[in-house]
Amino acid sequence: MIGANISSKSAAAIDRAKEQGRSALICYLPAGYPDVQASIDAGIAMAANGADLIEIGIPYSDPVMDGPVIQAATTEAIANGFRVESVFDVVAGITAATAGTGVAVLVMTYWNPVLRLGVDEFGRRLAEAGGAGLITPDLIPDEAAEWMTASDKYGLDRVFLVAPSSSPERLQNTVAASRGFVYAVSIMGVTGARTAVSSTAEKLVADTHAAGAERVCVGLGVSHADHVREIAAYADGVIVGTALVSAMRDGGEPAVAALTKELSTGLSPAGKETDQPS
Amino acid sequence: MSVLDDILAGVREDLELRKLAVPLAQLQERAAGQEPARDAWAALGGNDSPRATLAVIAEIKRRSPSKGELAQIADPAALAQEYADGGAAVVSVLTEQRRFGGSLADLDAVRAAVDVPVLRKDFTVDAYQIWEARAHGADLVLLIAAALSDDQLTEFLELTHRLGMNALLETHTKDEVHRAVAAGARIIGVNVRNLKTLDVDRTVFAPLASLISSGALVVAESGVRDADDVSSYAASGANAILVGEALVSDATPRERIAQFTAAGAAARKNADAGPAAADDGHAAVAVAANAAADDGPADAFLSGAGSAGAARGTPSLRHAPGPYFGAYGGRWMPESLIAALDELEDTFEKAKADPEFLAEVAELNKNYSGRPSLLTEAKRFSAHAGGARIFLKREDLNHTGSHKINNVLGQALLAKRMGKTRVIAETGAGQHGVASATAAALLGLECVVYMGAEDCRRQSLNVARMELLGATVVPVTNGSQTLKDAINDALRDWVANVDSTHYLLGTAAGAHPFPAMVRFFHEVIGEEARGQILAQTGRLPDAVCACIGGGSNAIGIFHGFLDDPAVQIFGFEAGGDGVETGRHAATITLGRPGVLHGARSYLMQDEDGQTVESHSISAGLDYPGVGPEHSYLADIGRVSYEPITDAEAMEAFRLLCRTEGIIPAIESAHALAGTIKVGQRLTAGKDNPQETIIVVNLSGRGDKDVATAAEWFNLLDEQSAEAAIGKEGEQL
Repeated sequence: MIGANISSKSAAAIDRAKEQGRSALICYLPAGYPDVQASIDAGIAMAANGADLIEIGIPYSDPVMDGPVIQAATTEAIANGFRVESVFDVVAGITAATAGTGVAVLVMTYWNPVLRLGVDEFGRRLAEAGGAGLITPDLIPDEAAEWMTASDKYGLDRVFLVAPSSSPERLQNTVAASRGFVYAVSIMGVTGARTAVSSTAEKLVADTHAAGAERVCVGLGVSHADHVREIAAYADGVIVGTALVSAMRDGGEPAVAALTKELSTGLSPAGKETDQPS
Repeated sequence: MSVLDDILAGVREDLELRKLAVPLAQLQERAAGQEPARDAWAALGGNDSPRATLAVIAEIKRRSPSKGELAQIADPAALAQEYADGGAAVVSVLTEQRRFGGSLADLDAVRAAVDVPVLRKDFTVDAYQIWEARAHGADLVLLIAAALSDDQLTEFLELTHRLGMNALLETHTKDEVHRAVAAGARIIGVNVRNLKTLDVDRTVFAPLASLISSGALVVAESGVRDADDVSSYAASGANAILVGEALVSDATPRERIAQFTAAGAAARKNADAGPAAADDGHAAVAVAANAAADDGPADAFLSGAGSAGAARGTPSLRHAPGPYFGAYGGRWMPESLIAALDELEDTFEKAKADPEFLAEVAELNKNYSGRPSLLTEAKRFSAHAGGARIFLKREDLNHTGSHKINNVLGQALLAKRMGKTRVIAETGAGQHGVASATAAALLGLECVVYMGAEDCRRQSLNVARMELLGATVVPVTNGSQTLKDAINDALRDWVANVDSTHYLLGTAAGAHPFPAMVRFFHEVIGEEARGQILAQTGRLPDAVCACIGGGSNAIGIFHGFLDDPAVQIFGFEAGGDGVETGRHAATITLGRPGVLHGARSYLMQDEDGQTVESHSISAGLDYPGVGPEHSYLADIGRVSYEPITDAEAMEAFRLLCRTEGIIPAIESAHALAGTIKVGQRLTAGKDNPQETIIVVNLSGRGDKDVATAAEWFNLLDEQSAEAAIGKEGEQL
């Protein structure tokens, strides 16, 4: 991996879970939904209820990888006056409250807001806020020269995505460019809760490991503890988004806390054994 | 007095006699009646990348001052045919009579005999001779640097290019090479014959050729005796050789030309592979160095062209291959779609090189779409554009009523090649949606069209059209409910269904290969328009105008003229209520670079990088982004982009209806309003405004816009059903 001498907060959080004999839980919510303070409080609640990594999304006008639930939430956040720079407040608020727990806070963002602020400036402020790095759904390593430089400069993780359609060459290149972990999208599609998790995910994780990735986490369509259990059997981490956004919409911070707690029950192998007698 | 001076004196005397016999006006009329000039630049390999061949310019010459009588040549047409059969790229005909024994009659005979470009080789001292060359069907003229001042070089080059021809600019010295490059010559000859002594010194070629760093084609002249000479010139950077004596005195000129061509190609290949890569190597380095100094187009093109091989020695703007256009373009896309983009790029590149595919496209263009579309002179509209002659490229006459059909047929054929059974498309005005539904019906593909809910209301008739054609129309209620949101939903569909589905993107924007591919399918517009204006007026236009939303109709027509420096090019963006109001879609005028829908390009965005909603009376221009190639052409100054307000567009809409009996699409009315401005500017203070010629792309017809226009002009009874459609966009 490039810049392997830089210590990764995301990798540390995943490894901490691994030492406990389980996969890591990665929980997503958009910043500023419904307002900045509420998203800080919800992030802290997720960390307190079993999340190992928190993923804070930047609401964006054209979220092509997101389904209707997340789109509606981020549209509302923007309508409520969300400004991109507030994401640093959200990250700082959560990292301050979770200091010492080892929870890593990443930002998930489409690329144009980063470009607009300036890639270097964005990196500088994210590091200053205590953030771990960026997940970039519409930035592929081929176009990421500027971000490679900035992330090395500020010691940030760069989480690129791999998909079931990625060629072996692309898997290799993406793994080589990533730091922290590699985000494997479980299905060909956009975010949203689904009744079943596709079997393609397991093969993709295996292929990505084979391409050299130490940590591969799976997202898209994961909405309850059974999904978590299924994925935790082969992946280093499980990413949940839409289900938490629905909980936030319907029940606020208490609902988010409860769902996180429920999801985390799917993480341990013990749970798997009791649930799936052979 | 040098030999050249002596020759020139005779040329001037003969010229005066011809001017008396055939006045210039008569020549110009004859030139206008000629078939358009053939593309000698392309024939000599100017567009090739890399330039791996050596072209032969085979000359018909009876005698010369240095050698005296060479050959009788009783039948120049037959000899020209021999040359062409042997693979000559260009046939050169000496027309000077006193020293070389040539004539315009020889030129006429050769022109009638061969299809390859013909060089009228004479001692040009007067613009009259350039008109004369064109009037006699020549495609290429000779300009000799030693015989002309800098001003004359510039003026004669400009006239030659304006008439659609190319010039071979002959040089003998370092100083003349620099003058030729500075004048903007595209084809530079290095003549190794000393003008004073008439001696040949082949060793002067390589150092002079090495000074030509502008990307111009290099032609070695004089001194070709055999294949070894050809190899030597080719290895020293010649793209072509001009050879006469060795051919006219050869019993088998056809075999000789084939031999020269093969020897030249082999030598260029070796030179390229060697460490001291002769011409391409130094050209690329020199171009980069020049451009770094002045930040000119070559630099941006080179840095953006991706592979050095694609850019080397190719300053042409017409065929930019992507993925980058200068700093723009690329693939800012989710990883899930990269494999599909790779598959599409691969399929497209193969299809582009497959004669069967090209024939299939040409057949559909002709017998389904109705191409070539007409070029109509708008004689009454002209009075409103300062009296300039205005020519409308009639894309409105294509099947489905706009240029969009060109692109959808090409992409639908590619979809079938990839084994996809379903196409999805976005649409703004509905023109691309209708075109996509049409192509899908024709080729038996399932079709789903995403259309902003707001646009569905504005263009309800087109919704009905798409449904009649068997497509499913999905109203998009996200965001601003217009074109950009329709693209977002189409991308979401594509991610989920990429195995079965091709995303038939409708404009020259998006991730690579879409911008270059969509342009490719629309290049026919510019190629036809260029030939038609040359056929109708005998020269290239002063300006070309088009409207820009994403920019597909514009890049199509611009393609025909981007390499003609004498042609000014204008793109007109939607200015909405006025750019000062913030309610507009003038992306290049007021936007700043960003990434949206897969490409880096100019973008209407706020301080946070959120896309700003655009506004325009024209649904087809109501898009906050623009194709990356346009951003590049704007940055290098090749194309001027200006905003046109709703009010200006609708006034032009009304004018075209009333003066020409043509109802334009409101999109195209933006181009017409721009044409009025450009016409007035270009004719200001001129006694003969009709000498100014403007070609404007009439990209679509206005049937779909009748309700909007009737509402704008208050033509409807307040109680009528049409008023309801115009106002509220009742969905049919």
